[in-house]
Amino acid sequence: MPEHLLIVEDDDRIRTVLRLGLEDEGYEVTEAASAEEALDSIAEAPPDVLIVDLGLGGMDGFSLIRTVRRSGDLPVIVVSARTDTHDIVAGLEAGADDYVTKPFQIKEISARLRALRRRVVTSSTASAAHTPEIILDATEPHPLVLSTARGTVRRGEEDVHLTLTEYGLLCELAATPGRVMSRQLLLERVWDQGFFGDERLVDVHVRRLRTKIERDPSNPQLVVTVRGLGYRLDVQ
Amino acid sequence: MRLSLRARPLRGRIALSFTLGALLLSTALATFTFLVARSYLVGQRERAAIRQTYLDAAYVRNRLAAPGTPVADVLASADPPPDGAFVVRRDGQWYSTTLGVDPPTVPGELQDQVRSGTAGYVLADVNGEPALVSGVSLSRGTQFYRVTPLTELGDTLHTVSAVLAVGTGLAAAGGALLGRWASGKATQPLNLVAATAAEIAGGSLDTRLPNTSDPDLAIIVGSFNSMVDTLQQRLERDSRFAADVGHELRSPLTTLVASVELLDRHRDDFPPRAVKALDLVTGDLTRLQRMLDNLLHMAKADAGLDLTDATPLPLADLLRHVLDRSGYPTTLLDGPDDGLVLGDKILLDRAFTNLVDNAGRHGGGLRAMTIRPEGRKLLVFVDDAGLGVPLEDRERIFERFATSTAARGSSSGTGLGLALASETLAAHGGALWCTDRPGRGARFVASLPRVSP
Repeated sequence: MPEHLLIVEDDDRIRTVLRLGLEDEGYEVTEAASAEEALDSIAEAPPDVLIVDLGLGGMDGFSLIRTVRRSGDLPVIVVSARTDTHDIVAGLEAGADDYVTKPFQIKEISARLRALRRRVVTSSTASAAHTPEIILDATEPHPLVLSTARGTVRRGEEDVHLTLTEYGLLCELAATPGRVMSRQLLLERVWDQGFFGDERLVDVHVRRLRTKIERDPSNPQLVVTVRGLGYRLDVQ
Repeated sequence: MRLSLRARPLRGRIALSFTLGALLLSTALATFTFLVARSYLVGQRERAAIRQTYLDAAYVRNRLAAPGTPVADVLASADPPPDGAFVVRRDGQWYSTTLGVDPPTVPGELQDQVRSGTAGYVLADVNGEPALVSGVSLSRGTQFYRVTPLTELGDTLHTVSAVLAVGTGLAAAGGALLGRWASGKATQPLNLVAATAAEIAGGSLDTRLPNTSDPDLAIIVGSFNSMVDTLQQRLERDSRFAADVGHELRSPLTTLVASVELLDRHRDDFPPRAVKALDLVTGDLTRLQRMLDNLLHMAKADAGLDLTDATPLPLADLLRHVLDRSGYPTTLLDGPDDGLVLGDKILLDRAFTNLVDNAGRHGGGLRAMTIRPEGRKLLVFVDDAGLGVPLEDRERIFERFATSTAARGSSSGTGLGLALASETLAAHGGALWCTDRPGRGARFVASLPRVSP
């Protein structure tokens, strides 16, 4: 079954050419001209990936992403005409998995989509092979366990809800506990991005991951920053 | 920063004014004091000497009144002032209590005056010492003179003048110190202004001078702050304008880029002439995109390039990626692989891409790219196969919108690429210049400070 994309973009020319291009690549595409329209469409038929322009009229892209994030881990790729650090980071903080700045080529979008799909595949099968369960934090009474076999993270009996990207990031870090991974390496492994990729993607996602799995996110013990080198996962 | 540079001469000037003022005032005061003291002391001595002259003259006259008394005897019994003398002239003959005092000691004009019957005195040099010579006519043909040495008075005046001179010097020194202190006080607000201006120039546009209750300073503070307000508004408006224009242009450009890409995928469906046209559109669209990028970055660079995302970067890696993306083989890069530079990879990417671009557009294609360590710097040679850059153009080509007179083909750039590259490298603590390539062609040299891992 082809992957279903929902494109939220108020410029109908960009929306149209995106749809044409992505349909050429075999995706099934739904269009929405506003955030409100997008929410209706999601309620009706949830897409596999959401592509959102940040600068929408009415309810803006940031609010749409936050709303979507509250109810699930639907992957989101942000498309933005703004290249300011501030806007991009804000978009990621709101919950976006990746971003592309305008003007972009369709092949850039499809590359990001492929990277996202690879995360799905990786997290559900590949890394599960050797160590189906990794105890990240053994502190009783609610140990934190990453189960690569089931693709879940549980604290005690409770599921910890991670987005696909957060989960992929955690799996990469957990594959080599105690070893530092550079931002560049994580960027390549999780986002499939090359040398000119944006390392802020890693930083923002680590931050979001911490708020979900650390006992005290302001004083992280599990995913620690190694200044100037990258990040390291320390099993507790 | 110019303010603080100017503050020094200003402080010097204030201190100098204080010193000169103090010197002038104390000199005038000292001179006045000296003159008053001298005239008082001299007057006192003169009056005492003249009074004494009359007394001595009366004594001598009385003694001489007895007929036949020799003048010498009278003088011998008289009591002349210490170191001084009595001189009597009688019937053209001179008599003196002291051997050293000759008749010429008594100045001629005084002699004339006394001979004519009027008492008088003069200040004169007697054997090299200052003295008061006073004379009284005793009778027709007999005159009496008293020589009162003034050496002691001279010594006193000398001491007084020395003391006053030292005082004057001290006052001047005091003035200098006061001037230094006062100028420090006076320029202190200027230093604050300078520091604040430097901070603002460094990019913290929100910095303002603290409010003051001092009415003298309030005006400066007020106008300074309102100037910065205006400047900030202006800059914000400019950068908002650039962002707005960028935003406005990005949307149609996105449609264009994506549509052309879509057309390109279906190029096999088009007749050859249409494919040719499509290629033209594709090529110029790429250029348009780069121009817009450079323009927007230029607008940002004006507001100060943001290097907060600077990290240690492997320069060779960066350059290989630049080459790869510009369609050149990475084997064009030569040099050591391990050099690190501190920088923003997006900005440096753009700078080097512009250099590679320039070689392609104006230099007949990129010939080689070489990294060469030199001291604490890493140099990057970007060599092209063109005609080189004429000597007179080698600085101008780095100016914005500069267009070289030579080497302008149909594929001219925006005139921004090299300027942006140069500004970016400068912001990274490096530089960019142009020389000749050994052989033929131009060599652009970029230098960047090397960092240790």
